[in-house]
Amino acid sequence: MQTLGGEHNNNNNNNNNNNNNNNNNNNNKLPHFFNYPPYFTLQPVRETREKQIQLWKELILDYCRVQKVFRIGLEEDFPLFSNPAIERSLNYEAREAFLSAIVLDGRAEWMDKNHRQCLILWHLIKDWADIILHFVKENGLEDSVMTVEEIRTGIESRGTDIHGMDRGVLMRALKLLENKGKLAIFKGTSTDDEGVKFSV
Amino acid sequence: MRRRPGIGGLQTAAAARDQYRLLGENVAKLRTDLMKEQLSTFRSQLEDFARKHKNDIRKNPAFRSQFHEMCAKVGVDPLASNKGFWAELLGIGDFYYELGVQIVDICLATRPINGGLINLEELCKMLSQRRRGAREAVSEDDCLRAISKLKVLGSGFEVITVGKRKLVRSVPTELKKDHNEILELAQAQGFVTVEEVERRLSWSTGRATDALETLLDEGLAMIDDGHRDGKRRYWFPCVSSVSSFVASETL
Repeated sequence: MQTLGGEHNNNNNNNNNNNNNNNNNNNNKLPHFFNYPPYFTLQPVRETREKQIQLWKELILDYCRVQKVFRIGLEEDFPLFSNPAIERSLNYEAREAFLSAIVLDGRAEWMDKNHRQCLILWHLIKDWADIILHFVKENGLEDSVMTVEEIRTGIESRGTDIHGMDRGVLMRALKLLENKGKLAIFKGTSTDDEGVKFSV
Repeated sequence: MRRRPGIGGLQTAAAARDQYRLLGENVAKLRTDLMKEQLSTFRSQLEDFARKHKNDIRKNPAFRSQFHEMCAKVGVDPLASNKGFWAELLGIGDFYYELGVQIVDICLATRPINGGLINLEELCKMLSQRRRGAREAVSEDDCLRAISKLKVLGSGFEVITVGKRKLVRSVPTELKKDHNEILELAQAQGFVTVEEVERRLSWSTGRATDALETLLDEGLAMIDDGHRDGKRRYWFPCVSSVSSFVASETL
């Protein structure tokens, strides 16, 4: 997967992520602990649980990055929550524990106080902002105007992490850039019209 | 010598005994000297052999193992000190030292998963993976020797046998007999249930639960409540090959 943000990917996701052996498998070969039944039960012994959480955190983040998943519903069928081959599923408590750990690392946010929906920031907002800036420069868009949808789904962003990204996350990154004076966001007649004027 | 009665006779007998004893000691000394000489010849031949086959010893685990046996027979320990003739000649003192360090590393890295017990086969596999680029291949025999050196340093490393397998223990807590029996039982499927332990070992529920809970606390077991029959299973990473799967992703 060649993306404009290629270097960003590797640098910004080194959150104790030593998955160097498995990082280049974009066909998403799952790690072996995923096939070991006890890993689907939240472990009571602290040291064991800490290791378990660490492994699951890395797997979830990796998966989201490769599959470009931004939102996980804890009561929905997220593929990593079950492994039919060994007939095991994570219960709510385990799901909540693993995602909470990612939230604690600053790489995810709860979208509701009941912890049913989680936003995954496999790039941090500030990193998304950098990626967008890079994208603008690479495509000579320094003084141009684009709609938010064009940024997200237009031809220029194809092949980059920006393409198809979550709109909410994109807006937050754009607002960050607006605060830095790199662009101006203006509203059209409906949300689809929201536009951006770059002054990079 | 003609026996004569009386004191004279006694003195003669005593003198004779002394002479025989002296002769006996001389013969013994001769034998010892001869043995020493043979031994020293053998040792120097062993040294020549080592010099000539240095590369084979370094590169070939099977050859190396046989060499060790030969040395042991003559009372030579090439690993006795890191300096000194053998270590310098073969440089294998360093080899085992290096192995020892890597073994300690692997045991520490996998401890959160297996509680400090790892099966020897798996350890060797991980060691080989780590040493992929190195010119020297590593056998189980090499691992055992490196571990025995670690023992000498008092680092709490030990190889224990459970059922058909050899496990390497890297934590100070020794396996109690009850625990050993459970581990043996677990080798069949990788896990046990309380019921199974009770049934197969004829234990009371209390005894089975206590033992399993202790193993859990020590990090040697993991619980699994996900089976549809609702029975809790206790899995033992040290009898499966999980440590290598899990740890290779973090080493």
